[in-house]
Amino acid sequence: MITDFLNGEYVHEVQILIFSLTLGGVYALMASGLTLVFGVMRIVNLAHPAFIFIAAYISYYAFTELNLDPMESILINVPLMFIFGVIVYRVFLASGADQPRYTEKTVLLTFALALMIEGVLGYLFTGANRSTTPTYTTEVFFTGEAQYLVPKAQLYALLMSLVLIIFTWSFLQFTRMGYAIRATMQNRAAAQTVGVNVKWVSTFSFGMGTALAGAAGALMSFLFSFFPNTHWEWVALLLSLIVLGGMGSLVGAVVGAFLLAGTAGLVSDAYGPSWSPLTFYAALFLILLIRPQGLFGKKLEMT
Amino acid sequence: MTLLEVKGLVAGYGSGPDILRGIDLTLEAGQIQCIIGPNGAGKSTLLKVICGILKPRDGEVIFEGESITRLRPDQVLKKGICFVPQERSLFPHMTVGENLRMGGYALKNARETRKRIKEIYRQFPTLKQKRWQAANQLSGGQQQMLAMGRAMVLSPKIVLLDEPSLGLAPLIVEHIFEIVRQFKENGITVLMVEQNAHKGLEFADWGLVLDLGKNVFDGPADTILADPRIQELYLGTRRVQEGI
Ligand SMILES: Nc1ncnc2c1ncn2[C@@H]1O[C@H](COP(=O)(O)OP(=O)(O)O)[C@@H](O)[C@H]1O
Ligand SMILES: [Mg+2]
Repeated sequence: MITDFLNGEYVHEVQILIFSLTLGGVYALMASGLTLVFGVMRIVNLAHPAFIFIAAYISYYAFTELNLDPMESILINVPLMFIFGVIVYRVFLASGADQPRYTEKTVLLTFALALMIEGVLGYLFTGANRSTTPTYTTEVFFTGEAQYLVPKAQLYALLMSLVLIIFTWSFLQFTRMGYAIRATMQNRAAAQTVGVNVKWVSTFSFGMGTALAGAAGALMSFLFSFFPNTHWEWVALLLSLIVLGGMGSLVGAVVGAFLLAGTAGLVSDAYGPSWSPLTFYAALFLILLIRPQGLFGKKLEMT
Repeated sequence: MTLLEVKGLVAGYGSGPDILRGIDLTLEAGQIQCIIGPNGAGKSTLLKVICGILKPRDGEVIFEGESITRLRPDQVLKKGICFVPQERSLFPHMTVGENLRMGGYALKNARETRKRIKEIYRQFPTLKQKRWQAANQLSGGQQQMLAMGRAMVLSPKIVLLDEPSLGLAPLIVEHIFEIVRQFKENGITVLMVEQNAHKGLEFADWGLVLDLGKNVFDGPADTILADPRIQELYLGTRRVQEGI
C-alpha cells in the first residue's frame, strides 16, 4: 500500500487527500470552541458558526478597509470575540447554569441568538457572497515526485489552525486556568469544593470558545465564501464532527475533523459530491451505535 | 475555643420544603464532631450550607466570630473550611497527582502545593505509588483516601467529611477512620457525618443527633453512645437485642 503510494499508483487519490485534508485543520479549529463550551458548561452552542461568521466579516472589513491580511486580523478577532463571548455568556446564558434542563435551554437560546446575529449581519452586509482575497489564495506549491498541487491558502490555514489548537491544548493542559477548566469539565461540584470559581471559569471558557471562533473566522474568510444566512450550513457539520470525536474532547474534535475532511474528499471524488454527507452520517451513525460517547469522549460524569 | 457556630439554620432546595428547620451546632477547635441521624434527616444538606454550596433561607453560619453565611464556596474555602462530599468528589480523568494538585488550587502557590503533596505522599504511600493513575482507576477505599488527602493539601482549619466510610469494606473503614484521626493530629478540626453511627461516635469527641431537619440531641460522644434512648432510636441496638 505504502509502496504503491510511493510508486505513484494512487496519485489521483493522494491529490484528493491533499486538497481535502488541508481543510481538516480549519474544521478542527472551528469545532474546537464548540466542543470546549459544551465540555465545560454543557452548552450546545448553535450560534457558534454565526460567531465564526461575525469574525469572518470583521476580517473582511479589515481586509478591504484597512488592507490587513486575514492572518493578521486574527490578532484583532481573538480579543474582540473573547469580549463578545463574555458579554453574550453573561447576558444570555449565565443564569440557570446549575439547573437540570440547562442544556435544552441553551439549544433554544443559542438558536435565537444565531437568528439575531444573522439579522444584524444581513442588515450590515447585504448582497453578495463575500470572501477575502489575499494574493496567496490564487497561488499553489508543487511537491513530491508526482508534483502534487498544494494550494497555498489551504496550507497556511492548516498550519495556523494546528498552531492555535496546540496552543489551546497546552493552555488547558498546563496552566492554572487550564487545570480549573478541566476540573470543571470533569466534576463541576468537586471543582467548587477545591475553590474553583466555576462561574468565572464558565465565563472565561465561553470567551475562549468564542475567541477560537474568531480565529477560525479569519481563516474562513479566504477559504470559503460567506453570506449572512449560510452559517446554518455549518451547524450540522460542526455538531456532527464533535459528536463523532466525543463532545467535550479537543483531541476528538481534531480527529473528527480530519476524518470528515478525508472521507468527504475521497467519497465525493469517487461517487459524486452528493454521496459524501451520506457516507459521513452513516459512519457517524455507526460509531454512535457502537460507542455512544464518540471516539474520544468520556462518559458523562454529570447529568 | 469555638471555631464554628451554626444558629437557627433553615434551608431547602429550589422552591421545595424546608429540609433544615432550625439547626444549632457548635464546633470547638481541635474536636472531631460526628453528626448522626436517619437517612434524609438533612445531614448532607447541613454540610452543603456550611461550605456555601447551598444558600440558607434563614439562620447564620459563624466562623471564628465572623458570619460566612453569604460567601461563595471558594470564599468559604479560603477562610479554611474544606468540604469532602459524599461521593464522586474526584476529577475522574485526572491522575492522582493532578487531583492532589487541584487540592492546592486555592493556595495559588505551586511550590507550597508541591511541598504539601510530598507530605501527603509520606503519610499515604499508596497514593504515591498510584500517582500516575487516573482517579477513576482506583478502588473505592483509595478514592476516599485521595479525596481526604486532597483536603489535607490545603491544611484547612475545618474539614467537613460526608460519610467517608460509605460503601467500603470493614477493614478499609478502619483505615479511613485512622485518616480522620490523622486530621486531628495534624491540627485540623473535623466535622463529619456518619451512617456508621457506632464507629463514627467511637472516633469522635462530640456527637450531634439530627432528625427531620432539627438537632434532637448533642453532647459528648461517649454520653450519646451510652444513652439508652438514643441507642434505641438512632443506633439500632433495640433491633439487634430484640432480634428483628
Ligand atoms: N439536590 C437536592 N434537591 C432536592 N432535594 C434534595 C437534594 N438533596 C437532598 N434533597 C432532599 O433533602 C432531604 C435531606 O437530604 P440529605 O441532606 O441528603 O439527607 P442525609 O444526608 O441526612 O441522608 C431528603 O429528603 C432529600 O430528598
Ligand atoms: Mg447524606
